[in-house]
Amino acid sequence: VIKDQSDSEQGGQARAPRKVALLANCLLNQNAKVCEGAHYPGPVTPVLAALRKRGYLLQQLPCPELAFAGVRRWWAVYEQYDTPAYRSHCRRLAQAVAPLIEGYVRAGDEVVLIGLDGSPSTGVRFTSSKPDWGGRPNRPEDDWNVVPGRGIWIEELEAELARRGLPRVPATGWGLDMGRFDEAGAVGDLETFLDRPTGAADASDGDSAP
Amino acid sequence: VNSDRRGWRIALVSDALLNAPRDRARPDVVRVLETCGYGVLQLPPPGNYGPLLAVIADQVAEYAHHGYALVAIGVRGESRDGLHWRSLAPLLRRRTVTLPPRHLVRAEAPAAEEQRLATFLNGYDLPLEEQRHWRV
Repeated sequence: VIKDQSDSEQGGQARAPRKVALLANCLLNQNAKVCEGAHYPGPVTPVLAALRKRGYLLQQLPCPELAFAGVRRWWAVYEQYDTPAYRSHCRRLAQAVAPLIEGYVRAGDEVVLIGLDGSPSTGVRFTSSKPDWGGRPNRPEDDWNVVPGRGIWIEELEAELARRGLPRVPATGWGLDMGRFDEAGAVGDLETFLDRPTGAADASDGDSAP
Repeated sequence: VNSDRRGWRIALVSDALLNAPRDRARPDVVRVLETCGYGVLQLPPPGNYGPLLAVIADQVAEYAHHGYALVAIGVRGESRDGLHWRSLAPLLRRRTVTLPPRHLVRAEAPAAEEQRLATFLNGYDLPLEEQRHWRV
């Protein structure tokens, strides 16, 4: 199913491309976070403000962790979610939302992806790592590493879009899961990404890391 | 000390409301949801999005079974309210979820509609006993 494109042309004239932001689920709904991970009651207000000010349409992505391990799941790192079952689950979610994304991209809209840096699933520039995590959940605070790389969900979503022959969507991450969250720095980082010249490199490919 | 700031209340929101053009002639539903502390679960635009609705229903079920209050916010006066209710309601029932209360927003009279929505959102939550059970 591809989104109805009938509104993309009126009277034979192509409409102007829209700006569309694919958002990590928890950027619109902090209730999706693991316990102690929610920094806002509902949406992440600075992210919405930056996007709405610039006229972006919002497209929320599903939360893969919530639907897989539940709302009361333990904290986890990339290596714990890197299993065939979790990747298969992520592929199912990607196949469910990809038709919407494909509709936007094929209509010529300017699509960006905003994930959650430091997340094992939704990280774009950074994910969390600790290969020896497992067993009884009694790890001390901040006992994981933030390392460059995608989270599992973003890897599978990008793979699904590539399977559909779509170009890679420019992407960045909101730094909520980086260990110590710096809201002002995250806002500046996001605005730099959103205001970059059209066609500029993906934030995850450059050196704009926080 | 648990510094978690989640609001424990979530709104299923029609795409048309979430992505409405921003002008003074329309209610700003996103702003009201933010002010009232509701998280957003976005519903797809009109069309056949069965697999995505099933994924959303899974998430709604998880919240509903663990102490979160859920509502649905659609558009009044359109041929479709944007809630996909004919598809979504059976998916929720199959997951033993009580259907969330629905509130429909009119496109006109933005100030009055925003106030009506805020009153609805602020007035809704789970019974205190359930809140105490889950929200520690």
